[in-house]
Amino acid sequence: MLEFATWFQGTPVSVWLQSTLWIVPLMQSVHIVMIGIVFVSILMVALRVMGWIRADEPFAAVLNRFTPWIAGGLAVMAATGLILVAAEPVREFSATSFWMKMALILVAVASGLGFRAALTPEKQLAGGDNLHFSGRSKALAVGTVLLWLFIIFLGRAIAYDIEIWGPLSLNQRFS
Amino acid sequence: MDLLPIVEAIQNTGFAEWMRMSRKGLPIINWMHVVAITTVFGTIFVVDLRLLNYPNASRSFTRLSEEMLRWTWGAFALAVITGLMLFAANAVTYYNNTAFWLKMGAIVLAGINMAVFQFLTFRSVTHWDRDRPTPVAARAAGAMSILLWLSVIFLGRWIGFTKGYNFEVPDEIEEDLFDFGMRLIEAVSGFG
Repeated sequence: MLEFATWFQGTPVSVWLQSTLWIVPLMQSVHIVMIGIVFVSILMVALRVMGWIRADEPFAAVLNRFTPWIAGGLAVMAATGLILVAAEPVREFSATSFWMKMALILVAVASGLGFRAALTPEKQLAGGDNLHFSGRSKALAVGTVLLWLFIIFLGRAIAYDIEIWGPLSLNQRFS
Repeated sequence: MDLLPIVEAIQNTGFAEWMRMSRKGLPIINWMHVVAITTVFGTIFVVDLRLLNYPNASRSFTRLSEEMLRWTWGAFALAVITGLMLFAANAVTYYNNTAFWLKMGAIVLAGINMAVFQFLTFRSVTHWDRDRPTPVAARAAGAMSILLWLSVIFLGRWIGFTKGYNFEVPDEIEEDLFDFGMRLIEAVSGFG
């Protein structure tokens, strides 16, 4: 993998991305804006499961309000993330945080899709103040928010891989 | 007034020293700052979109903004606390960084925008709380808020590329940035 990253870093595409100085900060900024949109949208759905916000609205209405933003935001983050990896492949591939982040994103997206698929029609359509989720659903909602917080942490930690992981950092083996 | 002695004193405190020396402290505080600012933006974005009548005007603005803004303020408090900690660690560098001051300016403008909305536009809320399009002033406040908070995020990220001690940026790129800045100054001042 790292050989591939080293080779890719020398390709014209990667060199162009590295030498165009506004690309990396711009992509990172867009990536952070999308974190705001996706994380808060997930938080809103989770808070509705808890019954803390929008309790007057049917759950389906809350889900429909925020799902397009979650999907769209994740798509933009995949695109900006890909450009960032193309610009600095060695830095990303040699970070333990990067690989953990990728794995946990798969887990989080799969669990989100699973949650949606498991929603009974009654839960989806039932409305308003009398809609209560089970303790298990609430635990899942809290767990999902915590999982995304950890994914955000791993994203930030890519820049500090050795400081965070010490001997577990992939970075040290190649330095 | 020269604030530099105060800024230097902040950087020389034991706390600032600890922030610089602790290996895990800086990334963890940095992460909390990212979570805080993204939560501020994301929650206020929901309110701003409602001011722009998105997705519609059927939800009570008063209820929606009350439910959202407690999260915005909580996250903003966290952003200020973690931001002060990050500032203390390298106070002089931030003090000398243009992007940092532009970011502070954008936050102040966002605050003024919010205050104008709260004390003028919001007073007529009973006429447009729900099922009616928001007035022009409310829509303008929503659009301004989105633009200003986007600026805060972009400028915040820009600090990391211009502050001069960034571990993430290879030296060559920083030199490029310096050259770019010099060329820009020359071009603007007309003796390039």
